[in-house]
Amino acid sequence: MMKKQNAVSLLLAALFVIAAVAIAGSGRIVGNDVPAPPAIGATIEDFTLPDTDSKDRTLNSIKGSKGTVLIFISVQCPVSNAYNERMEKLAEDYKAKGINVIGVNANNTEPVDAVKAHASEKHLTFPILKDPGNKLADRLGAQFTPESYVLDANNKLVYHGRIDNSRDASQVNSSELREALDALLAGKPVAKTTSKAFGCTIKRA
Amino acid sequence: MFRRLAFLTVCLSILLAGFAVPAQKRSYKRSSDAAKPIATVTPIDTERLKSLLKRDSQRPLLVNFWATWCDPCRDEFPDLVKIDAEFRPKGLDFIAISLDDLKDINTEVPKFLRAMNAQMPVYLLNVPDPEVPITAVDAQWSGALPATFLYDATGNIAYKHFGRIAPEELRAAIEKQVGAKQ
Repeated sequence: MMKKQNAVSLLLAALFVIAAVAIAGSGRIVGNDVPAPPAIGATIEDFTLPDTDSKDRTLNSIKGSKGTVLIFISVQCPVSNAYNERMEKLAEDYKAKGINVIGVNANNTEPVDAVKAHASEKHLTFPILKDPGNKLADRLGAQFTPESYVLDANNKLVYHGRIDNSRDASQVNSSELREALDALLAGKPVAKTTSKAFGCTIKRA
Repeated sequence: MFRRLAFLTVCLSILLAGFAVPAQKRSYKRSSDAAKPIATVTPIDTERLKSLLKRDSQRPLLVNFWATWCDPCRDEFPDLVKIDAEFRPKGLDFIAISLDDLKDINTEVPKFLRAMNAQMPVYLLNVPDPEVPITAVDAQWSGALPATFLYDATGNIAYKHFGRIAPEELRAAIEKQVGAKQ
């Protein structure tokens, strides 16, 4: 009887240890474990995410007639915030040309209320979607804020990377995102289809 | 029955202790009797960064890229300060490269370093285009912070880690280099 009890105890203890290791492992922070981004030319499937009023929006319902820019942004990241004015200007400049800018907040640390308040405070008028569980960020392999993706009219990825070369607006001498949009509008191939985005890492769930 | 309960209690305690460790908050307060911390942060460009990485001191070199606005960078810094204190006397060089804004070079950056009691040389990368130095350091590096590189005594990357360091893993990698040199 005692042997049987000991065996049960050992089994339970083993289960505890296995559970502890599994749970602890799942929370480990590992560098560079973000899924790879889609290849240039890949079609981005339609998705549904809530906006800052918690209303579900699909990509296809808010995309531009000639193209769409998705930019992962943040409430708190100083690099992302350094781009607020530039992102708003970009949205204004290209909306009339048929390209819509959509912000995406995938930071698990920034609730939708904070995202809405931040957009209001910083005068960001383009739609901003919340990405709970960073599912879209995972699908697009997004790592940073800000990090941008340009889709053509058929949702094919034509550019992925930074907005420009410097968080300091006075130091900008290379505007890859605008160059990609201008090429798209002109019906020309995008010369530089990828660049390294730089900013805060997305705070994943 | 009592034995079984006692055994399970011990197991449960171990389990709970395991959960408690990652939840511990790190203190950024420095010890009062520590050595005088560094006071200045030196701005550098890409060429100066390259020369720092390609120096010929014949000592292994640990390089940490970080920024005050990067939470995991702040979280790992106390471990890096400990590693610096532990291995510098054994032959390791260590430099920290901040990717903060130049406007923070005399304020936020040294303020954080003082709080950390950091003793290693610290530079601030002042470049118009961060992609250039990022690619120059390692083409595989996305630019995500923090990023930590260990160069061997001949200037080759012996170990690298993107994201918050695992201190024991880094220690083991350093031990190999310091041991190889001695």
